[in-house]
Amino acid sequence: MKVRIKGWTGVATWRWVANDDSCGICRMPFDGCCSDCRLPGDDCPLVWGCCSHCFHIHCIMKWLQSQQLHQQCPMCRQEWKFKE
Amino acid sequence: MSLLKEPPPGVTVDVDQAHTKLTEWVVHMEGASGTLYEGEKFQLQFKFSPKYPFDSPEVIFVGEHIPIHPHIYSNGHICLSILTEDWSPALSVQAICLSIISMLSSCKEKKRPPDNSYYVKTCSANPKKTKWWYHDDTV
Repeated sequence: MKVRIKGWTGVATWRWVANDDSCGICRMPFDGCCSDCRLPGDDCPLVWGCCSHCFHIHCIMKWLQSQQLHQQCPMCRQEWKFKE
Repeated sequence: MSLLKEPPPGVTVDVDQAHTKLTEWVVHMEGASGTLYEGEKFQLQFKFSPKYPFDSPEVIFVGEHIPIHPHIYSNGHICLSILTEDWSPALSVQAICLSIISMLSSCKEKKRPPDNSYYVKTCSANPKKTKWWYHDDTV
C-alpha cells in the first residue's frame, strides 16, 4: 500500500533551560513570563549573571535600576555582572 | 506558596486577613523551643507597597505582646538590616520570618533597646522612615 502525505502540521514545545524552575524576584515560573509581560518567550527572556543566578531580564533590570550604590545579585549578593 | 506549605516552625499566616486586604498580612509566630521566647506568641504585620518586591515590606510586631529584645522597640519596630538597606527582592515572607525567629532565638538576655523611650516618642509610624544604624550583629 502506498501512502501519499498531502500535508502535515508540526507541533513543538519549548522551555528555558535554567538551573531553577522560577524567577527568584517575581517567583513566576521561568516557562511563564514576568508580571509585566503577557506572553512567555523571546519577548521576556532569561538572563544569567556571572554568579550563575538567573532571572527574567525585566525583573533583574528593574532591580538594578532601583539600586544606586551597589548592584548586587538578589540571591547571593555578589556584584552583578551579566554573563556573556 | 511555600509559606503555607512549608512554613518555619511556629509560623502561620492569617489567611482570612490576607484575603480581606492583599497588601496587609498578619503572621502569627511562636518563640522557638529551647530559647528565651519559648511558648510566647507574637503577631507580625507586613505591609507591601506597590513596588514590592523591589521595595521591602514594612514589618512590625503588633498586638498585645511585643517581644522584649535588644533590637525590638516597644512600639513593635524592628532593627533588622534586611528590612531596609540590605533588602533583596529574593527575600520571601518566609525568609523574613526565619530571620526574625533567628534573631529572637540568639538572644541571651531579654531587654529593650537602650534608646527605647526616646525612639518610640520621636519615630515615624513607619519604621522604614527611620534611619537605622546597624552595628550590633551579636543578637
